[in-house]
Amino acid sequence: MKLFKHSCSALLITMASSIAFADTSVIVSASNPNSTMDENTVSKIFLGKSKSFPDGSQALPVDQDEGSAVRESFNTTVLGKSDSQLKSYWSRLIFTGKGTPPKQSGTDADIKSLVANNPNIIGYIDSSAVDGTVKVVHKF
Amino acid sequence: MRTRKYWAPSLLAMAIASPAMASDLNVNGFMSVGASMLDKDNGTEVAGADNQGGFKQDTILGLQVSKQVNDSTSITGQLVSRGSDDYATEAAWAFVTYAVNDELDLRMGRLRIPAFYYSDFLEVGYTYNSIRPAEEVYRLPFSSVDGIDITKRFSSGNVDGSVQFYYGRYIGDFSNSGSTYDADFRNLTGISLTTNMGDFGGRISYNQAELNLQGDPPAGSDLALGILGAQALAGSTDAAEDFNITGQTSQFIAAALTYDNGTYSALAEWTALNQETDLLMDDQAWLVSVATRMGEFTPHITYSTQKDEYESGRVGQIQKQLGLATEESSITVGVRYDYDSSTALKFEIQNHDEKTIKSADGDSATLYSVAVDLVF
Repeated sequence: MKLFKHSCSALLITMASSIAFADTSVIVSASNPNSTMDENTVSKIFLGKSKSFPDGSQALPVDQDEGSAVRESFNTTVLGKSDSQLKSYWSRLIFTGKGTPPKQSGTDADIKSLVANNPNIIGYIDSSAVDGTVKVVHKF
Repeated sequence: MRTRKYWAPSLLAMAIASPAMASDLNVNGFMSVGASMLDKDNGTEVAGADNQGGFKQDTILGLQVSKQVNDSTSITGQLVSRGSDDYATEAAWAFVTYAVNDELDLRMGRLRIPAFYYSDFLEVGYTYNSIRPAEEVYRLPFSSVDGIDITKRFSSGNVDGSVQFYYGRYIGDFSNSGSTYDADFRNLTGISLTTNMGDFGGRISYNQAELNLQGDPPAGSDLALGILGAQALAGSTDAAEDFNITGQTSQFIAAALTYDNGTYSALAEWTALNQETDLLMDDQAWLVSVATRMGEFTPHITYSTQKDEYESGRVGQIQKQLGLATEESSITVGVRYDYDSSTALKFEIQNHDEKTIKSADGDSATLYSVAVDLVF
């Protein structure tokens, strides 16, 4: 019984820590004046439905490369779409000249440096990669 | 060395800005390869297929090039080559977009008529579950317009959408019951409204065109025989005046409702054609389709139906004697398999029932189809 309790708590700790590590942060440059944004705002920017930040300045979303775990969790959690659904969504816009998807721009480190250097860019990275050059506006 | 010095800073600037800049040339494409076979040899034709099997009807290749020319202007060109058209290559889209602001776009050039829910992406099979949109409903014999359009997007809270107005002219082929005519449809205009709210979506469109053929319909064609037949039946050229095509206006309306919660999706679309000329039939057509996503598999089922409506009185009797009316429906059951995020494999069975064809009793047949749809 004791052993069971032990392993249970060990399991809980492992689960909790893995959840903590799997945290994803939506980031903008430290020099971007916008503070927090809700999921809906972020989703609209990444789906091309909104082209500006809440303060009115131009918003340019960048994606992680296809296949990245962070991208997967961002797509399902924030956008509520699987990879194929998203591809289908963008195909409908691409082939009518109505929009282009956010550019695939690498992984955590690449995205972070892009975002840090341009106040118009918005991206998402694993929370463990966040540092002072960027500002977290949404976390999940 | 001087040149290198000169270029270095601008290259650096480009490198930093590149993900943000849309100024690169974007090349995208789509392709569908399909094969289909009908189970009967009774003259019934479903989606252009017969009982000998074929690979051509659903095969299509599209290439699109677009470029952001400056902050507000972009150009888009899409070349499409269709197996059903002997792989003749056509510019399905070729237009310049001027973005007045984030919500308002002006486009000029060759555009797709936004008549149906699927119109904008009609040929990109990857974007929908079935191999082709239901034929009974998607029955207009042309889909492009050369002209201008204005699109206004709106968004507030969880509601977003757009209003699109277009005006133009269509000069090109017009096919009707097996014959092809040189059409010059003028004052082609319409408006469509599309909205999304959470899992629900809605769409309505109104379209009209002034019909015009370049020259008389070729002797022996359905339309030429129809006009002659109507004159004979009506007793004089004057009495059959309403059977002429030139200068007559046709109207098309469509309304669609969509639902998609990620697991279940549904589409219902209702459409109606109202023709001023009595040589082309007024009709109504609608479809209901439901699908469910189960991992990589998406089984779906669709019911689609179309019914021509006779005019009242003597005109209706003439239409009947000329054998103009059709009434048909289909049940299509299929499955889509998402092989990866840009390839879908599809299989479907369509049972097509022609209740009336050329105002006489029709037949039924079953069509088996497979297709691979890609976007790249």
